[in-house]
Amino acid sequence: MSEPKIIRFKDIARAGDEPLVTLTRDDLIEIPQLGDAPDVQSPQARWLERYDFSLDGFSDFDLPKPKTKEEEERLVNGFLRGLEKLFDPQSNWPFVKIFRLSLDYCVRCQTCSEACHTYIGSGRQEIYRPTYRSEVLRRIYQKYFTPSGKLLGSFVGADVEVNAKTVWRLLELSYRCNVCRRCAQVCPVGVDNALLAREIRKLFSQEMGIAPGELLKKGTRQHLKAGSSTGMTPAAFKDLVEFIEDDIFAKTGKKIKMPIDQKGADVLLIHNAGEFMAWPENPAAFAILFDAAGISWTLSSEAQGYDGVNYGAWFDDVELARVALRQISIAKELGVKKIVVGECGHAHKALCVLADRVLPGDLSLDQIPRESCLPLLWEIVKSGAVKFDPNKNDFPVTLHDSCNVVRLMGIVSPQREIVKAICKQPVREMTPNGVWNYCCGGGSGFAIMNSLNFDQWRKNVSERMKIKQVLDVFNDVLDPSINKYVIAACSNCKGAMRDGIDHYGLWDKFHITYGGLVDLMVNAMADLPQPYIEFGKQG
Amino acid sequence: MKDENHAFFHPSSLILLPLREGTMEWFLILFGWISAALFVIVSAYKIYRVATAPLNVRWEVYPVPHEEGERRHYGGSYMEEVDWAKKSRAGSLVAEFVEMGQEIFLLQRVRKYNVYGIWLLSLAMHWGLYLGAGLLGLLVIENALPALAPLTNVVGVVAFALGTLGAFGLIAKRATDRNLNLYTAPIDYFNLLWLAAIFVLGLASFATAGSFAAHRAYIGSVLTFQPAPIAPLVALTFFAFELFVVYMPFSKLIHYFAKYFTYHSQLWDDAFKVKGSPTDKKVAEQLAYTAAWSAPHIVPGKSWLEQAQNPNVEK
Repeated sequence: MSEPKIIRFKDIARAGDEPLVTLTRDDLIEIPQLGDAPDVQSPQARWLERYDFSLDGFSDFDLPKPKTKEEEERLVNGFLRGLEKLFDPQSNWPFVKIFRLSLDYCVRCQTCSEACHTYIGSGRQEIYRPTYRSEVLRRIYQKYFTPSGKLLGSFVGADVEVNAKTVWRLLELSYRCNVCRRCAQVCPVGVDNALLAREIRKLFSQEMGIAPGELLKKGTRQHLKAGSSTGMTPAAFKDLVEFIEDDIFAKTGKKIKMPIDQKGADVLLIHNAGEFMAWPENPAAFAILFDAAGISWTLSSEAQGYDGVNYGAWFDDVELARVALRQISIAKELGVKKIVVGECGHAHKALCVLADRVLPGDLSLDQIPRESCLPLLWEIVKSGAVKFDPNKNDFPVTLHDSCNVVRLMGIVSPQREIVKAICKQPVREMTPNGVWNYCCGGGSGFAIMNSLNFDQWRKNVSERMKIKQVLDVFNDVLDPSINKYVIAACSNCKGAMRDGIDHYGLWDKFHITYGGLVDLMVNAMADLPQPYIEFGKQG
Repeated sequence: MKDENHAFFHPSSLILLPLREGTMEWFLILFGWISAALFVIVSAYKIYRVATAPLNVRWEVYPVPHEEGERRHYGGSYMEEVDWAKKSRAGSLVAEFVEMGQEIFLLQRVRKYNVYGIWLLSLAMHWGLYLGAGLLGLLVIENALPALAPLTNVVGVVAFALGTLGAFGLIAKRATDRNLNLYTAPIDYFNLLWLAAIFVLGLASFATAGSFAAHRAYIGSVLTFQPAPIAPLVALTFFAFELFVVYMPFSKLIHYFAKYFTYHSQLWDDAFKVKGSPTDKKVAEQLAYTAAWSAPHIVPGKSWLEQAQNPNVEK
């Protein structure tokens, strides 16, 4: 591993298209079990003229570079206008207090650096340090908005020039953080550099409408318009449910009718709609378990009601409130006792935590409770209503903790208790685990961002630490004759695991695969004639 | 007729050189009070500004120390249960104090997670400050209880020695470690140098006299408004310190108060909203604020609630 290049804050304003850093395989943290990991691919030559790769040679933004002085000025002015609004108590009331505290009181001790899987995974490249982007933003703010910065300039660190390159690189840099908030967890002052990354994203989205296409145009906009961020309409959803019912019958011999729009049911179960399309075995497993446990539940076929995602959680407070308001209103109209969120981490956090204070009183948590599926699943196991045979799960299992569910909601124990009860072998805990886990690398939308060559960055940098953890935890059973299972009870994490397993060849080399927790539970159901999990066929 | 040798304070005396006898003593008495007052006023204003800023959304990070029993250790929360919204919760404030205490007195997170070798130096500097504050308190009390002098000597010397070691050590560390150097602006060195100067002056003024008697006498003169002769080195020590006290609330050196809010309003704020509660009313008030953003998906001039109710998508 070569010594990382020193990149100063002023460099972010550097003219030209040359990236501040260019990554090769040798720069990245080593994964000993892999020997030669795949190399990092450069962007296609035909893109270079049209798109901006000047941060690190990667981008998800298929927006053309500014061509004229006027276009550059528009970008710069929009950025400065948006930055000012981040400090406005009305325009940014949801976060202004903690945004200011994080911006004003970092003591630059760098305690957070080693908490960041991206920084470490990248071979400790300066630009990925949690404090680098924050310090750039801080220095811009000081230079353009504070009397001390205007008066004392570089003496107080107010030395970053804002030009079109600065703005673009900072935009890119805000999408080099998974917002897993491991840095905030270790900060002695409680500064939240992940929040600052999110605030930069928000500035671009809410002021200029600039966000990755997968998150805004094909994300929240599509969610609010078509009904789901996948583009799935209510009619298509109903078709898919029928298909899943047939599939359940084919696999288990159980004839299960998945309830839709059942007024007065106890539970509105809300999945990430991506599950229906990419991993239909997951909603199917929920249906099998809930049916067997005799739970009164329903799905919704209303637009937004069958897709629990809320991409606003990653970049836009207005979109966050819109999606959450609609989802919770649907539950209220159905007259259910509560919403239970399926295996989707950010949907957990958006519905159960974030939305709590952006909606009116009638939609408060005490009026329409929103809960994780994990405690309910543990109740099912504890109750004995469903019989599980741990011998059916006789293979090495590890548990990946979704940041949103674990670190950001404190749901740590139920999933571990479940695994203990349904698996023959003790769960292999990764190092670190629980609330101290590392992000899968797909967090805050990265798992679905595939424009231009962003996937190259995700696979090689942000997912790297998780892949290393997985290989380390199975190090003594890497023999491919032994099937191994990574539990990822979150759609985004599953997307990242699928991506990483494919990129690093973990199935071919070591027979490591992944899947949900409910899949594993159904696999252990005593009355099923054949295994539910089909090793080697995931995703 | 005024006694020229025992002058009343007059602003002009601050700039007239050479100083009339007694002028400096009076100046230091008044500056002692003024610096303390400015510190309190500016700090209170800053705390007020943060405390009255809009209520933020929930943005907690686990472990949250007020959680019950084992949960506080492994990072669990009340959301690990079904139907948690209907259950009562018993939290522990003591655990919050213990956590804060470990942070304040041991710099726990720096000790555990900082890999750049700053913990001991930072701890020394912080304890220099804590003991320095203790010294100030002892000097006040000592005016009534002179028997405390030996304790004052120990506390003072340890405070200044630790502070000197910590401040100079951090300067050296920041200047030589590439991981810290890039992030250290000139003002950060300036702050550390200023602190180091105060600690060195404190040590030197003690060493010259072999006790803190002169320091106690100065504090006594401040408290009683009775000017007393003051040695130049002691005067310089207090002047450097009092000037720093004025400067502190304007700098990020008051991160200790920010820390209260970052922990309690952000990392540990896990309270969910109940309809009709003060939080709910506050949120309702804030939902009426205008979301004055300009992107195409934002409806111009509408409140936050109206934005949420209007997805702004073409049918």
